[in-house]
Amino acid sequence: MLMTNVEKQLLASPRNHRYVLTVTVVVLALFAWSLAAVNLQDINQGGLQIAGNIIKGLFNPDLDLLFNVSKQSVLYLLVETVAIAFLGTIVGAVLSVPLAFLAASNIVPKPVAWLTRLLLIVIRTIPALVYGLMFIRVSGPGPFAGVLTVGLTSIGMLSKLYVDAIEELDTKVLESMTSIGCSSFEKIRYGIFPQLLSIFLSVTIYRFDMNMREASILGLVGAGGIGAPLIFAMNSYKWNQVGSILIGLVILILLIEWMSNRLRSKLVKG
Amino acid sequence: MIEFKQVEKKYANGTVALQNINLSIEQGEFVAVIGLSGAGKSTLIRCINRMHDITGGQLNVDGVDVSKLKGKQIRRFRRRIGMIFQSFNLVTRTTVIKNVLVSFVPDLPFWRKVTGIYSKEHRIKALESLDKVGILDKAYIRVDQLSGGQQQRVALARTLAQNPDIILADEPIASLDPVTSKVVMDDFKRINADMNISVIMNIHHVEIALEYADRIIGIRKGEVVFDGEAANVTKAMLDEIYGGRLEEASSAPSAKLATSFQEGSTAHV
Amino acid sequence: MYDRIFPPRRVVLPNGKIVLEKRSRTPLILLLLIAAIAASVWFTEFSLKTLFTRINEFFVIIGDMIPPKWSYFPQLWKALVDTLQMSLIGSLVGALLSLPIAVLSSSNIIRSKTIVTIFKILLSLLRTLPTLVTALIATFVFGLGPMAGVVAIFLFTLSYVGKLLYEAIENADMGPFEAMESLGMNRIQAFRCAVMPQVLPSFLSNALFCFEGNVRYAAILGYVGAGGIGLLIKEDIGWRDYPNVGMTILALIVTVYLIETASEHFRKKLI
Repeated sequence: MLMTNVEKQLLASPRNHRYVLTVTVVVLALFAWSLAAVNLQDINQGGLQIAGNIIKGLFNPDLDLLFNVSKQSVLYLLVETVAIAFLGTIVGAVLSVPLAFLAASNIVPKPVAWLTRLLLIVIRTIPALVYGLMFIRVSGPGPFAGVLTVGLTSIGMLSKLYVDAIEELDTKVLESMTSIGCSSFEKIRYGIFPQLLSIFLSVTIYRFDMNMREASILGLVGAGGIGAPLIFAMNSYKWNQVGSILIGLVILILLIEWMSNRLRSKLVKG
Repeated sequence: MIEFKQVEKKYANGTVALQNINLSIEQGEFVAVIGLSGAGKSTLIRCINRMHDITGGQLNVDGVDVSKLKGKQIRRFRRRIGMIFQSFNLVTRTTVIKNVLVSFVPDLPFWRKVTGIYSKEHRIKALESLDKVGILDKAYIRVDQLSGGQQQRVALARTLAQNPDIILADEPIASLDPVTSKVVMDDFKRINADMNISVIMNIHHVEIALEYADRIIGIRKGEVVFDGEAANVTKAMLDEIYGGRLEEASSAPSAKLATSFQEGSTAHV
Repeated sequence: MYDRIFPPRRVVLPNGKIVLEKRSRTPLILLLLIAAIAASVWFTEFSLKTLFTRINEFFVIIGDMIPPKWSYFPQLWKALVDTLQMSLIGSLVGALLSLPIAVLSSSNIIRSKTIVTIFKILLSLLRTLPTLVTALIATFVFGLGPMAGVVAIFLFTLSYVGKLLYEAIENADMGPFEAMESLGMNRIQAFRCAVMPQVLPSFLSNALFCFEGNVRYAAILGYVGAGGIGLLIKEDIGWRDYPNVGMTILALIVTVYLIETASEHFRKKLI
């Protein structure tokens, strides 16, 4: 039996409709189910007052804490946070490169790539704080544990994006290098390395930007950086100290994000 | 001089790509190889610099038996033969000059190979070869910011920097619009005439082949069916090469040319 | 700037042509990088020696986690459900609310520059705060429990999806929008009919992607008392009850993997 295109379309359309309807119903059901997590009864007078105090603290920051030059000052701790994020990113990048090659399906046999990918998923799913707590047992509390934690948590994303770059390698240039008379080493150094370098750099800078947020919470488990004083200040209700820490943190993160965006667009455009 | 003596090429799966090839190409000739897709043009060219191994007969380049070369000898032999590809095959993420400088890489001492720092002499040579194809001003620009025609000229400059005796070109203008095609073909012609470099080129566009090449080699099903001056190519000859499908073969590319030209022109707007 | 401090080198070709060769920036970049690494090593007391002599401790802990304690799962279940509910409701409400906020941040839809700037700053400030810090603050306002986690996830989703959405809206093709306006629609109606269809697929895809990440985040929020399995992890590591931690992590990995697979399936359909 012949069907015209219009009839086919007519038949195709309601099926799509039903699909959208099903998805909507499922989403609504999930919504209703997860409403259990919402509980507005605990917001008491105290909560609202604290909210007010936080806002007050943001506008009246503890300037002395912000600018003095001791090891407890916000400035010093922010620099420490940047150092943790930076060194952690480098550690992560160094570890990610071999893993990425082991996970690239155009470089190694399929089973090896699959196993490496599984390992990466596992590494990526374990929360950063868990690594933090584990590394404290290795290096003792302090920024060193933070570096190791940031390094390990970076691996998941870095390797995944590195793999994408490796799998999109342009191999045609290798053919022309063969015709020039290049050896395998020369082909890797001048044909593959320049292609990967700028993408790897761009991805790594992006991850550094993200690691700033990561590093700023590690203090909560004692792994250095600005997180620890933040939680102390909050637990002792020193809202103007909280204010100065939050202001410093937000400005720093915005600054680094802006720099990272500029650097990356430069890398992409050349 | 390039000599083919009873050259035969069989692929591992048994298909015969070339058979009974007997040719002799003198230094400084401009040869166009024409024929249908799959006739063996590309294989013929790639045998000359051992990108493909021949399976029978003998192939000599300036008295060297190509199939007897091994490992490092092959790489050294290839230094004298430049090659140009349809898809330019450049590292698009680096600058033009770095792409050209790659052609010096095999001759560098080890520390320079690792660091990628080139001597002044090499940098000047690279700039000179860019000047020869007229894109000296683009030297420090990244390749991905150039048009297709400019990229093919970068590839040409890279080959010239090698200071080759022979240039092999595999469909060099197939992905260019007609206007840039002409510019690139003029470059080839000039290089051939001024520097006495032999050019052996696979080409789809019969009219362009007849216009630029001194000598035409027609290939059909892996065998040479025509070999002579471009002026002697007749309609009957072309029918023979393209197996009576000249109409298709010549009109299809020119139709493609017309559309690619339109695409090219809108792309520039 | 750089070229003024280190002026380009003049290269004279044999044929007399002069080329200005810019100085390579690589040495300077390498120098800066090495300096930054050295400074960071000093600040963080990084020591390869400690790393190599003590790293086995790390693997000892991992060894203790395997095999996980299967019987812990029933206790884990409630916290896992909490974690899922937190991320679901936070992501859903956040994504929904990001729609109007993103429209208010799009300079091509809203004419008032002040409104656009205010909302853009709001979004980027929200995005800057690490989720765990937001959660920490939320526990003070909303009390300990999943609600604080919901708020933290909601705010993060709002800022993340909102930013990507307003960027998509600002890059959308405005031709249809003008056509709709010329048909007599107001700007909101025109947005609904002309821009929405263009940005909807990427919006849904981003929201799903954000949800995937949120499940991971939700898992640690409990650490500051914001509900979910984070609290269990904190307590179990404190008690050095590693087989329990192993079980918690295994449950988390399976959950995240399932959600990622489902989400990837739908995102592929969208694009």
